[in-house]
Amino acid sequence: MSGAGAVAGEKGSSTTKTPADFLKSIRGRPVVVKLNSGVDYRGILACLDGYMNIAMEQTEEYVNGQLKNKYGDAFIRGNNVLYISTSKRTLAEGA
Amino acid sequence: MASEEESAVKEPLDLIRLSLDERIYVKLRSDRELRGKLHAYDQHLNMILGDVEEIVTTVEIDDETYEEIVRSTRRTVPFLFVRGDGVILVSPPLRTA
Repeated sequence: MSGAGAVAGEKGSSTTKTPADFLKSIRGRPVVVKLNSGVDYRGILACLDGYMNIAMEQTEEYVNGQLKNKYGDAFIRGNNVLYISTSKRTLAEGA
Repeated sequence: MASEEESAVKEPLDLIRLSLDERIYVKLRSDRELRGKLHAYDQHLNMILGDVEEIVTTVEIDDETYEEIVRSTRRTVPFLFVRGDGVILVSPPLRTA
């Protein structure tokens, strides 16, 4: 049983061991941040802290899948965050 | 453009620090938005804003046509203390149009 846990841990990204390590490893990557309200933010993850406060660049706000707003820089308060997901999709070149 | 800022932004709150004395956009719970000059903030995102424009967005359903009516109510406030727990997003003023 204990062995199975270790295998599951190794399955992900080779450097990721804990959730905090994952968060450190995705700085500078394009991400999707979903909030508890269901709103999605897509952009480049600039940095984050232990509260899961997030600073993002070139942020696009999607409500019900529709682009509603764009922010050059955005600070998201950590308590609103449901998940952070890396996205391969490059940002839509709106500008 | 963003690269010169990156050096100064080591943690998310640095983004707020760099916005001191600038007009910022704040998205709050219950469909409220604020635009105002950031005078002070703390780690909870409690903030003192000056010359604030508050926009409250409400959605009503028309009784007869059942259409959604989106209403924006605006008001201005000279000074506002914002409690941090209502904050969802803070954005510095856009430097690019």
